[in-house]
Amino acid sequence: MTIKQISIQRYLPEQGSAPYWQEFDVPFDDSTSILDALNYVKEELDGSLSYRWSCRMAICGSCGVMVNNTPKLGCNSFLREYQGPVKIAPLAHFPVEKDLIIDMTLFLDHLAAVQPYLINDSGEGSDTFKQTPAQMEKYKQFSGCINCGLCYSACPQFGLNPEFLGPAALTLAHRYNLDSRDQGKKQRMPQMNREEGVWSCTFVGFCSEVCPKNVDPAAAVNQGKVESAKDMLIGIFKS
Amino acid sequence: MAKPTSYFPELKRDWWLKHSYFKKYMAREATVLPLVFFVACLLAGLYSLLQGMESWQGWLQFMQHPMVIALNALAFIASLFHAWTFFQLFPRVMPLRVAGRTLPPNLMVLGQWLGVVAVMVLATWIFLRGL
Repeated sequence: MTIKQISIQRYLPEQGSAPYWQEFDVPFDDSTSILDALNYVKEELDGSLSYRWSCRMAICGSCGVMVNNTPKLGCNSFLREYQGPVKIAPLAHFPVEKDLIIDMTLFLDHLAAVQPYLINDSGEGSDTFKQTPAQMEKYKQFSGCINCGLCYSACPQFGLNPEFLGPAALTLAHRYNLDSRDQGKKQRMPQMNREEGVWSCTFVGFCSEVCPKNVDPAAAVNQGKVESAKDMLIGIFKS
Repeated sequence: MAKPTSYFPELKRDWWLKHSYFKKYMAREATVLPLVFFVACLLAGLYSLLQGMESWQGWLQFMQHPMVIALNALAFIASLFHAWTFFQLFPRVMPLRVAGRTLPPNLMVLGQWLGVVAVMVLATWIFLRGL
């Protein structure tokens, strides 16, 4: 096994106010993930290191960190992918609580704001809704989100303005708007139409690049712009 | 017990220099700068046309200055680069469905470039006819 030096950004609010970098030597082979490296540091070198993780298989979305300034899930990025230095920092654009642990409150608030659930008061489908494969195909890609937050750390617009609803929330809104079982589009559009809704997006596109589930949030947000423009036009003619 | 304080790293003005992806994004957005110059040239041309013969001749002289030609050539290349990025994004924003199937993105990109060629051929034809 060869040894690789990794740098981890530490922040210990009870000991001092400024974050600092700490180096660790970690043994690795082809199967060593960033998360494995963090676990090794915690178990063998420094038990005070704090970070989140759970499933180890890119499903729970807990272990997001910045690796060399790029948002990654620790469990599905590997030390073998990095020839040079490896710098691990907490996800960008969020308040940092301790070491690699961020406060995701804002992210969760934005998700809740778009009412990301089926809204249908028709009474039909009270047992179960029917949906054809073709109807499902329309939103399926956008339903793969695991709420890891990587897209928010990739989004400079969210970094500049935390009020921006952001990629994941707008993708979820679009996903439910496209669902044939849902009737809640009218309730979601006011959120999407806001300046902090779809219109804060400038299609940087990095969110889709870093998404571990290939959801393509940038496409969803910009399809949302088309929907928002249609909604505004219809609104003008109706009033 | 008081909640330990969290720290909020601020995004600095040079955020886009930190990642090659953001540099490419800024290059795409910066294509507007030479285009602003091109539009200003066009508007100045219209204005000088209204001002009379002498002013028009002056504008023609100005347009032949090597620096002006270089800047307008840059605007042309920049707009082609912007079109290249835009055409790639377009199928993701407006996926077209024909007979229940989504058109392949490559086909949509090709269609847009064919549109560009058609416009260029048309413009060249009008220009040559006027000579």
